Amino acid sequence: MRYAQLVIGPAGSGKSTYCAGIQKHGAATGRSIHVVNLDPAAEAFKYDCDFDVRDLISVDDLAEDDDDTLSTMGPNGSLVFCMEYIANNMESLEEALDTGEDDYYVFDCPGQIELYSHMTVMRTVVDKIRSWNFNVCAVFILDSQFMIDVDKFMAGALTALSTLMVLECSAICVLSKMDLLHGADKERVEHILESEFGQLLNENPPTAFSKAYRNLSEKIAGVMDSYSMVNFVPLNLEDEDSVTDVLLQIDMSIQYGDDLEVKDKFPEDVDNEDDYGGWE
Amino acid sequence: MSEEASPTPQTSTPAPPINAVTKDTPPVVLVLGMAGSGKSSFVQALTSHLHKKRNFPYVINLDPAVRKVIFPANIDIRDTVDYKKVMKDYELGPNGAIMTCLNLCCTRLQEMLGLVSARSSQFPVCLVDAPGQIEAFTWSASGSIITDSFASMFPTVIAYVVDSARSTNPTTFMSNMLYACSILYRMKLPFFLVLNKSDIVDPAFLQKWMQDYEQLGASIEDAREAYINNLTHSLSLVLDEFYASIPTVKVSARTGEGMDDVMATIEKCKAEYFEKYQPAYNELLKERLAKDVKAAGDKLNDINITENPNPEAEADSE
Repeated sequence: MRYAQLVIGPAGSGKSTYCAGIQKHGAATGRSIHVVNLDPAAEAFKYDCDFDVRDLISVDDLAEDDDDTLSTMGPNGSLVFCMEYIANNMESLEEALDTGEDDYYVFDCPGQIELYSHMTVMRTVVDKIRSWNFNVCAVFILDSQFMIDVDKFMAGALTALSTLMVLECSAICVLSKMDLLHGADKERVEHILESEFGQLLNENPPTAFSKAYRNLSEKIAGVMDSYSMVNFVPLNLEDEDSVTDVLLQIDMSIQYGDDLEVKDKFPEDVDNEDDYGGWE
Repeated sequence: MSEEASPTPQTSTPAPPINAVTKDTPPVVLVLGMAGSGKSSFVQALTSHLHKKRNFPYVINLDPAVRKVIFPANIDIRDTVDYKKVMKDYELGPNGAIMTCLNLCCTRLQEMLGLVSARSSQFPVCLVDAPGQIEAFTWSASGSIITDSFASMFPTVIAYVVDSARSTNPTTFMSNMLYACSILYRMKLPFFLVLNKSDIVDPAFLQKWMQDYEQLGASIEDAREAYINNLTHSLSLVLDEFYASIPTVKVSARTGEGMDDVMATIEKCKAEYFEKYQPAYNELLKERLAKDVKAAGDKLNDINITENPNPEAEADSE
């Protein structure tokens, strides 16, 4: 069984930074965490890639193509073209992932919501990865600075749900860049994270908006309180404990660790009972 | 803008009065939607419809990456920022470039609003075509600044364009509607759905789904084998409330059908703006704007854009 995190979320939310941070954390704690870039429109990133989809195809390749239909595609068209190409050519990815049992992979995915909601392409990619014996967890990342009140939190959950409902896999929502929150904003976010949404709706003085949309807000709050997939987990990449917490949640979600065999540094397979005899 | 706000490069134009909107002020319609939903075509069709009635709208293009603007734009963001040059000079990918273009646009926003305001007695409605990458607008500081700034000076409403033809897939439709609902909660402005491409597929089935959520739920369960049908059911209940709260209009940008209904809906939403949004705005606006302006400024600083980002670019794109 192998394990995969699919890192998704709007552009700028901190997906690539997260991947780099998790990989670094893995190295520091003796876990091997492989990262794969699945975003053909990615800019520079700070992690070591086991596989970069841009070696297969990238939006830059299209821009330089001799064929005019390709080189004049706008950002959306070229991204869709690349993703469809990738979905139809998954063999090279499969080979690159063929390293061994108990492998843990983090996939840095493109952000555009249309790839998930309006097209089957990302769903196809995810299903393929699952078919290669991976337990998959979607990690939906949102920038905490955009989630500083209850309404915005609900907006964030709805954005996450619009993507996650299509992928049909277990999921965790992560609030990134918590280190950039200060003062009143930080307190508000922490309070929201600790409270039930049903209760939060009653805490603030009612505004014209909250009154007009009261019923809708209550239904949304109901979903947020009932489904752990939209329980946001705060993340401060500068804080080792925070990273450990997030990783723990995700690991539980993909049942990483359930099947783990004890590994030591010796090259022999420790399952062989006879070997223990010589090791005091 | 207040002086203490931020490192954002500012022009010396004074800040607008906080919400001086009166009932005579024409509405601004922010046209949002997924890529391919037909936002620009919709803007073009509505503009054309109004032109035929000699009732000329004020039209703004905010999509920096579009190759050709198909409607007569009074203001075009591409006159202020050169998307390809931004991508090249700052070594950004398409996402980064669009966000940066919007951030740069924000530094000239007061000027832009001034231009629109100066003409406000001359047009019935101002249409704003948002960037094709929806999250560059809905999940960015610059998107918020632009929205809030318009809303502080004009009754502002959101038109969310839906591709009816793609929405025959119930999963796509539900996902799209959840996203629309998230925009409502982010922007907190009057909101209506534009069911576009009704010449290809009659959106009546969508309206039926909206009225009877169980039908939609059943369609989803048919379309899939196994899923957390509980979650889908709960989400259907959420969306049921959502549809009850917002108007929808069937249009075809290609045939021009539905444009009168759109204008009527805009008027209705304008009235909502005064009832529901204006009162709260003054309070929240100042705080939000200051924060967003700082965030946008920080983003520009991150990629080392200073007061005169690229004087040659400004000259070239003239």
